[in-house]
Amino acid sequence: MAPAGSQVRKGNRELIGYSQFPGNGMIHVFQVGAGSGGMPVLDMLVRDRRIDRVTLVEPDEYKPHNADRHVFPHSSAGELKAVLAEAWLKERRPDLEVNLIVADVLDTACQPEIEAAMAVADIGVCAVDNEPAKYHFDALMRKHGKRWTLGEVLSGGIGGFVHAFLPGGPCYGCVASHLKRSIEVEKPAIAEYSQPGGAVKEATVPATMASIHAIASLHALITFELMPPPQPSGSGASPAQNGLPFTSLLLTMKQVPDLFDEAFRPFRFRIARSPECLVCRAPEREVASEDLDVALHQAFARLGHE
Amino acid sequence: MGLLDSEQGKRRLLTVEIPVIERYNEGRDPEFRIRVAPVGGTLVLRYRLKPGHNIYDLETRLLSSYPTVPPETRVLTLLKHCPHLLEGQTLCMWRQGSTRAASRWDPARFSSVFAVQAAWRWLACYEVWHESGEWPLPEAK
Repeated sequence: MAPAGSQVRKGNRELIGYSQFPGNGMIHVFQVGAGSGGMPVLDMLVRDRRIDRVTLVEPDEYKPHNADRHVFPHSSAGELKAVLAEAWLKERRPDLEVNLIVADVLDTACQPEIEAAMAVADIGVCAVDNEPAKYHFDALMRKHGKRWTLGEVLSGGIGGFVHAFLPGGPCYGCVASHLKRSIEVEKPAIAEYSQPGGAVKEATVPATMASIHAIASLHALITFELMPPPQPSGSGASPAQNGLPFTSLLLTMKQVPDLFDEAFRPFRFRIARSPECLVCRAPEREVASEDLDVALHQAFARLGHE
Repeated sequence: MGLLDSEQGKRRLLTVEIPVIERYNEGRDPEFRIRVAPVGGTLVLRYRLKPGHNIYDLETRLLSSYPTVPPETRVLTLLKHCPHLLEGQTLCMWRQGSTRAASRWDPARFSSVFAVQAAWRWLACYEVWHESGEWPLPEAK
């Protein structure tokens, strides 16, 4: 039996007359991460009635220490964040269709399921804190030609970035390489959106919930900017008309000597796709998916006996 | 999900890493060419460098999460204990967040051959340090 959300969704489509995105209509958000930053982004996004479906990829269990900066209470410790997120969203939007993939986005075994959901999604939201997951999400979004956004809170909550990616535009590699961020983004002991990339224990002062939510709000706003405005079918509106005058937005939240001259100052970066980028440039020679293993085996044979 | 078991990883190898390694090897003395072997989920590059007076055998490992994480390079030839040398004679070369471009691994701009060249530079510094007691390049900051 189809979930209640699906029935309402179908009804809404017929009632409003929206067609599938692109164009107008109900939007399927594919989000990775429901941590301290990912959850407020998702919460803010689904308050918009254009969104009628969410696929959430989140493998983690909610831990007692998460409650310091997370929207969920202490009493939820021990439960899966994905399950808590679904309950949170359904309380606010009973009509919302929520699909959970309780797995790491890098989990090899779950790639078919992740890719299938991504292929039918309209927009991606990345709220993970580790670089391999960001690069992987970027690769999948480019493969499926989807627009997506990424939020990053800098260690200590001194500021944060929100990046917006469009098909054919710069990839995450282009952006990260261009920005040459000199800010510490080491690996945290506990995976948290509040310290992207980064560091174990002693590392840094954790970002406050307020700083996390400030960037999460910008993340949600910029994600809305990439969505089409609701208009009647056949009006000719297309997502290509919705754009931002920047690729990356940096908001400083603290004054930091030699880094940020002042707090609460926005910087906008318009970053072009780099033709030299080793992550997204067109290969000199295309290899079909089914030929990859053979080509690699031959290359190893050649280079193994040099 | 890694370099050798994902489509993304295999494409990176076939379109970036293998061609630059083959270009590096082209016309080079066979003794100094890079040899490549998959070991578990990693790809191991074995090669020999001669930055100055001495010849060193090295191994650079492209880990499963390469190129997002930098390659790890260690010197197989026994070295004197010196600055910028980690356990297992692993070279300390990349520092996330460094303000020096060459000290911050950049998956969009660097390939495994850049790591080989960085190892050559490290060994050149080692030879200077061995003679003078001073590391000729500034610390990564």
